[in-house]
Amino acid sequence: MSGNYVLAKSNENLINEYGACGGAVSSIFQYLLANDVVDGVLTLSKGEDIYDGIPRLVTDAGEILETCGSLHCAPTMVSDLISKYLPDKRIAVAVKPCDAKAINELVKRHKIDPEKIFTVGLNCGGTVIPETAQKMIEKFYDVDPSKVIKEEIDKGQFIIELEDGTEKGIKIDDLEEQGYGRRENCQRCDLKVPRNADLACGNWGSEPGWTFVEINSEKGQDILDKAISEGFIETKEPSEKALGIREKVENIMINMGKRNQKDHFGENYLSVDEWKEQWNKCIKCFACRDVCPICWCRECELEKDYFKDGSDSAPDPLGFQGVRLSHMSFSCINCGQCEDVCPMEIPVSKIYHKLQRSYADLVGYEAGLGDEKPPLYSPLKENFD
Amino acid sequence: MSKDVKIVGFCCNWCCYGGADTAGTARMQYPPNIRIIRVMCSGRMNPSMIFKAFKEGADGVFVGGCHIGDCHYDAGNYKWNRRALLTKEIIQEFGIDKERFRFEWISASEGEKFQRTMKEFYKTISELGSLEY
Repeated sequence: MSGNYVLAKSNENLINEYGACGGAVSSIFQYLLANDVVDGVLTLSKGEDIYDGIPRLVTDAGEILETCGSLHCAPTMVSDLISKYLPDKRIAVAVKPCDAKAINELVKRHKIDPEKIFTVGLNCGGTVIPETAQKMIEKFYDVDPSKVIKEEIDKGQFIIELEDGTEKGIKIDDLEEQGYGRRENCQRCDLKVPRNADLACGNWGSEPGWTFVEINSEKGQDILDKAISEGFIETKEPSEKALGIREKVENIMINMGKRNQKDHFGENYLSVDEWKEQWNKCIKCFACRDVCPICWCRECELEKDYFKDGSDSAPDPLGFQGVRLSHMSFSCINCGQCEDVCPMEIPVSKIYHKLQRSYADLVGYEAGLGDEKPPLYSPLKENFD
Repeated sequence: MSKDVKIVGFCCNWCCYGGADTAGTARMQYPPNIRIIRVMCSGRMNPSMIFKAFKEGADGVFVGGCHIGDCHYDAGNYKWNRRALLTKEIIQEFGIDKERFRFEWISASEGEKFQRTMKEFYKTISELGSLEY
């Protein structure tokens, strides 16, 4: 199915005004709700400011408009919300590539029913931690962070828009050199277009007012066709040039991600002694385990008698992180949540992502993509050397 | 004088444990540093059992299963194979030499292979010395 592209835009004028580039995503959601194809749409709505994103389940087509626009400074994950709280509902959900990967992994673990979920992927160039974003806007843009009404990541720049309509952009590369910019896991990410979702939408290569949509599954094609025939969106063929631009943008981003992987896992990787120091900071709060979208055991092995240690000191690294690594690192989707929530600021996601990469090199399993089960769950009789 | 090294060996009931038995009945000598724990299948092994062994003071850990294709439970050793690769990757991240962990396929008739493997593994571990981790 891959290789099926259209440019889409909303038929309703309302979204065109409020939504980002064409509002095609919002209109698809409106179609799904209005025709009772899904029970709800899980998306992100703005909280107090642009640094605050709240996952929201919308059940009324009219309310979709309130969730329009992008929020790069409010990284969230939706997959575990679906598996924990909405297992019986038919859900359409807006996903980043890592969300789509998490959903894929949870489907493989029978935690999400693939029949009941429809994923609309959003191209993603990375996210920024709210705190970092505010500091960075103050320091490099010389702007009061609370005066920013919109932010965008485009053409390698982090762009902010102020109340009076002025825009200011700084190259992300420059910001990241100074230790700001996107989250470290996003810097390493090499999936920018969520081809593991039913649809992948974005503005790369599109014309103003249109959304570039890549159709990745039969379900995606089916829903798009119906949304057109019901009059919610209109589509047209993208030009060769548009396709070229999109591919170019994607490749630049992927290469950047791969380069950062090499850098983070090579020269800038922590030595064994440095890791020991990091693990020594651990306060056994279990936040990394609780937030991990892949971790799902009902009874965690870390809480079994033979791994529990009653002491007040930091846990044995191999008996704590080692066990977690052996349970899920092969499926690590590099969402970076473990690192975000760590109160001791241990760079947890680095070791998980690195092990995923090296295990993928050994057995060829890419986490979160395709239908193949993770090797550790697979019934296949494959022999690896 | 340095303490003598400790090795924990997990052997599957149907093959490797039988191999150790064969070595024993034929009076083939192998280093007494290895403490054998019998498991029903190498597919029963979790990486966390290896970690626990290291944590409790083992200097080396050995796992023996049936030859690929000979598993008593059809595919247990395939499963262990995948976990073993991951285990090897993980222990290195925590500063444990990958040579300290070894897995081998040994059938019940291969007493000689069991003896040879144990001698080799003992040599490797005693050269590496006690595990400081």
